[in-house]
Amino acid sequence: MGFASTVTKVGRSVGGVVGILYQAGRDTVDTVIRNVIPFMAFISFIIGLILTTGIGDWIAKGIKGSASSLPGLLLISVVCAIPLLSPLLGPGAVIAQIVGTLLGVEIGKGNIPAQYSLPALFAINPQVGCDFIPVGLALGEAEPATVEIGVPAVLFSRMVTGPLSVVIAYVASFGLYTAAK
Amino acid sequence: MHFLAVGFLSAVTVDKPTGVLGALATGAEDFIKVFNKGGSVLLSLMGGILPTLVVLLTAVNALVRIIGPERIENLGKAAARPGLQWYPVRYIVLPFVSVFVLTNPMAYTMGRFLPERFKPAFYDSAVSFVHPILGIFPHANPGELFVYVGIATGIQQLGLGLGDLAVRYLLVGLVVIFIRGIVTERITARMMTKSEKGE
Repeated sequence: MGFASTVTKVGRSVGGVVGILYQAGRDTVDTVIRNVIPFMAFISFIIGLILTTGIGDWIAKGIKGSASSLPGLLLISVVCAIPLLSPLLGPGAVIAQIVGTLLGVEIGKGNIPAQYSLPALFAINPQVGCDFIPVGLALGEAEPATVEIGVPAVLFSRMVTGPLSVVIAYVASFGLYTAAK
Repeated sequence: MHFLAVGFLSAVTVDKPTGVLGALATGAEDFIKVFNKGGSVLLSLMGGILPTLVVLLTAVNALVRIIGPERIENLGKAAARPGLQWYPVRYIVLPFVSVFVLTNPMAYTMGRFLPERFKPAFYDSAVSFVHPILGIFPHANPGELFVYVGIATGIQQLGLGLGDLAVRYLLVGLVVIFIRGIVTERITARMMTKSEKGE
């Protein structure tokens, strides 16, 4: 009796763990196929276009000056944080992902110093979630009155915290990849 | 071997076609070049980060399932308390744990444990963390991976390690969401008193 129940217990818990791992794998493959690979395909096309046509040089000239200095990065973050623009730039983080990829290409070519990667990550993203405020608040079961105040509160807050995040990231980037130029 | 082959090829190549047909041929070559390049980029992404990502996502998804989302509810209740010492819980620990365990966009449901006046600030704090977490825990927001990976690819091309960038991105992210939570909470409080007076 004791032995049989032990066997049952071990069998059940092992089965449970394997089930969890298997389900986790299934979830993962699901996300990768539905969300990750489509974006990779899209990004690959854009990179191919940038690298083989003259667009790359044209963009490089445009963003090189602004993305490799603190004032330039601040300017990008201020523009992205404008309350009327930020909800338009937000959806799916598509803009941030494309601009991030463009900057990555320029960093890879050596046009933008590697240490600017950290402040750049914040400069391109003060608009994060600005399109989603009412939905996000609704998920938190906020009342309509809260949503009415919450939307402008977050948008105005970004005007301060957006550029501020760039400054913090800039200070935190001291010593990042500096030895490697 | 490769150079030899190229040399051999160039020896037998015919002159570049000219005229209308020549222009069309060059155009066609340039056209397909874009997609060849894009294809090789796609292959390097799929061969480079994708296998690691799949294994990592599986492990973390399993961990989250074992922890169970219902266990973090107590944390949400603790974060609702007033007082200075609960600020870091509300705008650092709770967003981090919510985004890690519940991932984007379910993380924002944790706001339901907070009083109305904290909800916008918590949302601001949590949503601002869905990208800084990507460098180390990509399972939290795999659909928006390229905010980080886009820039990280450039660093990789330079032959530099990503660990330093990923850790700093996460840490600066925590500082930023803390500040963002406090600033938004203040703004919300001011706007709420204003609208009450107006009524």
